[in-house]
Amino acid sequence: MQAKPNIILISADSLRANHLGCYGYTLPTSPNIDAFAGQGALFEKVFAPGIPTQPSHTTIFTGQHPVTHGVVAHGGKAKLGRGTPFLSEILLENGYTTCAVDTLFRERIWFGRGWEYIIDPSLHHLFYASVTQEELNDRAIHWMKTVPKGPFFMFIHYWDVHYPYTPPDRMRGLFYKGGNPTDPDNHELDEWWDHPVGAMARDTWLRTANGLITDPNYVTALYDREVRYLDEGIAALSDALDKQGLAENTMVVLLADHGESMTDHRIFYDHYGLHDCVVRVPTIIRWPGGNVKPGTRFAPFRQLSDIAPTLLEAAGSELPEDLDGKSFLPQLVGREEPSGYDQVVGLESTWQSKYYLRNSRYKFILARYPDLLGNPDRELFDLEADPGEDHNIAADQPQLAADMERELEAWIAAKMEAAGRTEDPVTKEGPVAVEIWEQHRA
Amino acid sequence: MQQEPQKHALAEAAIPEPPAKPEGPGGAPDAANEPEQVLRPEDEALVVERLRELGYIE
Repeated sequence: MQAKPNIILISADSLRANHLGCYGYTLPTSPNIDAFAGQGALFEKVFAPGIPTQPSHTTIFTGQHPVTHGVVAHGGKAKLGRGTPFLSEILLENGYTTCAVDTLFRERIWFGRGWEYIIDPSLHHLFYASVTQEELNDRAIHWMKTVPKGPFFMFIHYWDVHYPYTPPDRMRGLFYKGGNPTDPDNHELDEWWDHPVGAMARDTWLRTANGLITDPNYVTALYDREVRYLDEGIAALSDALDKQGLAENTMVVLLADHGESMTDHRIFYDHYGLHDCVVRVPTIIRWPGGNVKPGTRFAPFRQLSDIAPTLLEAAGSELPEDLDGKSFLPQLVGREEPSGYDQVVGLESTWQSKYYLRNSRYKFILARYPDLLGNPDRELFDLEADPGEDHNIAADQPQLAADMERELEAWIAAKMEAAGRTEDPVTKEGPVAVEIWEQHRA
Repeated sequence: MQQEPQKHALAEAAIPEPPAKPEGPGGAPDAANEPEQVLRPEDEALVVERLRELGYIE
């Protein structure tokens, strides 16, 4: 067996943790992912320090918090500094053959760093997120069979769960309890049509020969079917590893860049808002040859910034000094007891410009600019009493809110100072998508 | 590119078979009443146009 493990990093864009059986979902969306988790380790509380896709993947590949690397918005003005460490580049330098089966480099050039091979079947589609797991797997499996002569690092970025939700027709009926999906008297989604992404859905993928889909339960069922479709793809990839005799010495990491809001908090089928449905992400690692105990569940808080250092340590690479994340490899392979963070900080600056500070009991959300939904600039949630984050208690517990705000601001200031920043990157970017939308409307 | 579901080792090892016929969580098959969803090329082009307007894609 080669000394260094192969590493496959799978990002399932927009995959919400609690829509998987292994994270407590009651519908059978993920039988194969659940089985995959049973063969490896599942991390129950991993949080995205930055959302959505571009900030989060930048954190995954750099091991840095967005305040450090500066990419806080999707479609924002900030560019990743050339000197920032990048996972694929480091692994390439350390003898790995690297391959991205991905689209991200088309949007932001730094996602092309460090790949000897880039495969992009989404070029066959008008919209890159229309690429299917089958198309990606076809190429990824062929590459694994034919190209690497030694350890390889492959990144596969699945888009099935990202909107538009258009699952295979053979899944019709699955997860929908009945009713009339196109009832013209159902107005539960009307508020969404005022949002540009909602208007886009209304004008495209929600239109059917029977009329406009108006039932949110049906849209959620479409999402869940996409999860089930993705689940089949994970099984196919796992099968291919087994058949090639690669499973034992391949570390497979399945995670998401962010989750998805269904109708939660008046955010419809999208990934903004700093609630747990969006910032808590699934993370599962299988590595039989690495002594990862099957069926292990890790409860401590971790962050997506921990992924790069963990993979680098698994590959035997030296860790750059300027990472924010911490490797959890010793815990993963049973050399140390599970541990994590007491609290985590994250941000967004695309549809909203906000930070969150979350500990095991409370979450405090602070807005740098007023949001489109008219929410207060300061929100406090008791996650023990209110896990859905439906009741803002900032006015009821002003001292706690003030303490958490002070702690959050101090954290941001310290992180900015360490990164050599003089301006808060979220304040600087603002809500990028809102600004562009308003300019367009004007 | 979408294919019929295939049996995989993961599924055979640890989980029950997927339902042979899709059915709702309440157990009542409802597929016949569902609209057929077709994302036409012009719809996909419109998605791209709208997301480009928002700066989501280049």
